[in-house]
Amino acid sequence: MSIFNSFPGLPGPDETAFCKINEVYCCANIRYGNISTFTNSIKNHPKINVTKDLYHHHRLSDENISVYVDVEDNLLKKITSVWYKQGFLEALSLAADPNVNRESQILAITASYALKVANLFTTLRYFMQPHLKDIGPKIVSKYSRTRNWSNAPVKCIAWHPHATKIALATADDNVRIYCSEVSFVSTLKCKAQGHVSSLSWRPYSASEIAVGCEQGVIVWTVDPNSMFTKPSSSNAVVLKQPGHSPVTDVSWSPNGDLLVSCCGADTSMLVWDVSMESAIPLRRVAGGGIVFARWSLSATKIFAATSSIIFRVWDTQTWIPERWCARGCRVVAACWGPQDIILFAAKSEPIVYALTSTGLINGAKTSKAQPVLDVTKIELPSGDIVGGPILDMCWDCTGKYLALMFEETHIIAVFCTTQLMMHLSVSPCCFISGIDTEVPSTMAFQENFSEGACLTIAWSSGRIQYFPIIYTDNYCS
Amino acid sequence: METKSEIFSQRLIKAVLWNICLQTALAILLVFIIQVDLIHPLTWISSTFNDIASWKMSLNIVLLGLVSFFQAYIYGSYYSMPIPKYFSRFSMFLNLFSVQNIVFSTLYALNGYFTMSLYSSLAKSNYNVLKKKCENYDGQCLSEQSLFLQFAGMWMGLYYFTSAHLFGAAVLTFPHIYQEKFQQIKLVISNIISMGFQHSVTPVLYYCIFYYVWGNKPRSVVSDVYSLYLEDPPLDNIINLISSGIWIGLWFYTSLFFVSIYTMKTVFNIVLTEPMKFPIESEKQMTLYDALSQRSQFTGYLGAIDLKHLSMVDPVRRSQIFTLSQPGGHPRNWNNLLEKCLLIIKEFNKELDSVNGDTNSVDDIHHRKGLSKVPLTPPSSYSGALRNMAQSPNLLELKEHKSYKLETTFAATAKEEFNNFLQKLCQKPGINYFFGEMVNTKLKFIFIQAQPVMWTCEGLSYIVSASLKEDKYGIVQNDLPLVLSTLVNLKQNLDKLSKPGIVPRKHILNDVLAIKIRSALLSSVKRSLYRIVITFSKFIHEIPLDPDVQIALQPFLICKEA
Repeated sequence: MSIFNSFPGLPGPDETAFCKINEVYCCANIRYGNISTFTNSIKNHPKINVTKDLYHHHRLSDENISVYVDVEDNLLKKITSVWYKQGFLEALSLAADPNVNRESQILAITASYALKVANLFTTLRYFMQPHLKDIGPKIVSKYSRTRNWSNAPVKCIAWHPHATKIALATADDNVRIYCSEVSFVSTLKCKAQGHVSSLSWRPYSASEIAVGCEQGVIVWTVDPNSMFTKPSSSNAVVLKQPGHSPVTDVSWSPNGDLLVSCCGADTSMLVWDVSMESAIPLRRVAGGGIVFARWSLSATKIFAATSSIIFRVWDTQTWIPERWCARGCRVVAACWGPQDIILFAAKSEPIVYALTSTGLINGAKTSKAQPVLDVTKIELPSGDIVGGPILDMCWDCTGKYLALMFEETHIIAVFCTTQLMMHLSVSPCCFISGIDTEVPSTMAFQENFSEGACLTIAWSSGRIQYFPIIYTDNYCS
Repeated sequence: METKSEIFSQRLIKAVLWNICLQTALAILLVFIIQVDLIHPLTWISSTFNDIASWKMSLNIVLLGLVSFFQAYIYGSYYSMPIPKYFSRFSMFLNLFSVQNIVFSTLYALNGYFTMSLYSSLAKSNYNVLKKKCENYDGQCLSEQSLFLQFAGMWMGLYYFTSAHLFGAAVLTFPHIYQEKFQQIKLVISNIISMGFQHSVTPVLYYCIFYYVWGNKPRSVVSDVYSLYLEDPPLDNIINLISSGIWIGLWFYTSLFFVSIYTMKTVFNIVLTEPMKFPIESEKQMTLYDALSQRSQFTGYLGAIDLKHLSMVDPVRRSQIFTLSQPGGHPRNWNNLLEKCLLIIKEFNKELDSVNGDTNSVDDIHHRKGLSKVPLTPPSSYSGALRNMAQSPNLLELKEHKSYKLETTFAATAKEEFNNFLQKLCQKPGINYFFGEMVNTKLKFIFIQAQPVMWTCEGLSYIVSASLKEDKYGIVQNDLPLVLSTLVNLKQNLDKLSKPGIVPRKHILNDVLAIKIRSALLSSVKRSLYRIVITFSKFIHEIPLDPDVQIALQPFLICKEA
């Protein structure tokens, strides 16, 4: 008996789900329905629809750049431009290419030999450190929790912890900031900002946002009172360190003082003091690159997932990790809840595990991981398929609702979670599905939603949907 | 040295021991590498062991210990004293020739000399003796290469002293996270070695130029004194210098010297900056507010950083702050702590004010603050979550009024006149250049010492925001207006510095470290205000605040403060 059988049924063919108010699952017609008929709680939320004409230009993907090289240029110019844009090795391979370099035979031969030597070194390096094999965007796309990261119109979203303000990274690598009170949108873009993988607002600050991108971390200061829609890059600080690229995840500590950045190709995770622009690496043997890190709500612990089965839980006082091993595959998603409980899921496995530290029992601190939820793929009576390996997981900050996004199926499942005496119980809440062929790209819970929880979903069409789950105290009692 | 506190000297001794261990390890590694013999690995290892166990090695370790104690002395006396304030060019120039600097430079020169000879003797080269047997004559000849190297040792010591101490204020920077000591050393050791080899290139070049120009003088002096013959081609000739190959040795030993000095510095930083827990109440040990009251001294730093840790992650000691003293029922712990914290922030504020130029308003603000301890409108009722201790009548107010009586005696007037005269004299262009205060430098000094202020603000804000849930008696909320107004004041002062247009051009900071610390300080003050305001957002209108402060807090309340 799967947990999915006890969910309320999906809305009919012309209907879609809008919200859930006190256990009532509100659905209405796709074309005529309006969420304001059910609730006013998101009346002031910015209406966002990311469409193609919003982009200023489309970035060329790295695979096909060579197709666009202008054949009319002379050889030297071509080589230098490739060197400037893509690096020395690419320039060498261009010079060695007999199709491009017809003029200078000597250069071609020298270049091909140099390339052979360079390749020997790279092979040796990859033999020693196999996790470095992928280059920039490939690493990000491999480890991203966003479905189809390289082509999705919305790459990632982040809610401000204290204000109704949301930041989106769009496919053209601009970061757009939408705010509930003002109608204009700030667009953040600078030259260094490419292949944005993650966003994080600084807690206890109205203006600072960290953007994880290929070169490193960019910390923008966006003055909320300023009317500029395109802040200049003088408002940005680029934090980078050799070997720490591409950044696959950034996250601020809940106290707002430290920033942790992770890179899928770097075995150390960096703890930044942003104003001093200094970083301290945290490194331990084994495990490969650190893919992402999550701060616990009380800022006392950090969960760090590596690209192998190993994951670590760091203590933020002593900065000593506790090492864990997942059973089959690397950890793909994790989220902290109240009382330092952590839920995580491994790649290509339809099970959610909970890791609880059971506190001091007989003077010894013990913690254990146990499965709490099985979401094996099943077919619903309506014919839709739901469940399967987990792609992304979000838990709202009160620890009441858990949203799951799946790798192979396109319906988001929301669960109610209750924590009683260190025991976590999970019960069904509702499904959310897209309109027509939409598939969910990424999602997040709003952090300052006082009426309950507001799940925000970025669909593959570029539509941003707010799905409020409202409960009133009277109803509970 | 005698003013140093016990904590500091204990740590210094610990650092010396660590340093000796680490340096010995490096020395053994060096011996091991120098005797490399891949064809006969057994002889290689056995000869290394023989060398390590020999009496020469233990002599070297004693030498190493001596060097290490030199360094500890320098470091100790450097950090235990408050940073001297020299704001005019003249006083800075005079400071170059202070007794302390002369002693330091001698010590550094000796240090360089010993380190050089230590490593060269470890490497089994015979550069430690100035004499050698002549090949062509009968008698003693001068080994100029030894002279060259020994002079180089002193030169490097002096070079390091000049670059690190004279032209750069060495401040103890506390890392933002503190890992285990061993981990920290592991992380930096490769960096230290590569840095040592890179940084030694410039002083070696300088030294070669120096020797090219002046080298013949020490050579003739030494050969005269010891009545030695000169046999080898002189080294103050570029071709001879290069062909002799001594420059490779020089670069190698200089790099080792830099590696050893960087190692020492790192070890000292790691040991000295280790966070420490101070008790809240104690008869024997130093308490947190004792530590805090030693502002700008080493213990003050430790106290401030401990305050931040305590307020963030230590509920046990936090609850001690929120308790009342047993006989009497006064919130003594909190009052002591608050007094010390506010003092740190206010002192800093005063310094900023003096730079901002409105010295008159300082007294005004302080005066008003004394008054505003009594809320203007006594709060009639508090809602459930916000508690308050009974508003006791404040006697402090009366005392402060008394101290504001102006004493106009003749001596005071004369002094004031004299000061005015001096100030006027200082305005004259030429004199101003040498004797005038440089605001840049002053700001730099202020900011370089601002780290404890940062931690104090944050610590205070954590305690205050924790008090909403943990403070049973409402001790802290009684002083909420005071904390808020102090923080707002500091924020406004910092804003005045960074906003263009208000501050004249000459105030612009040009020191990278100071600029970074300024932005760090501003950001931590804002974060502290946000933390308090967000925590108390529901009750903010019930807190009796000055209208000015209330206006200043508005943007924080609606999350619009950049």
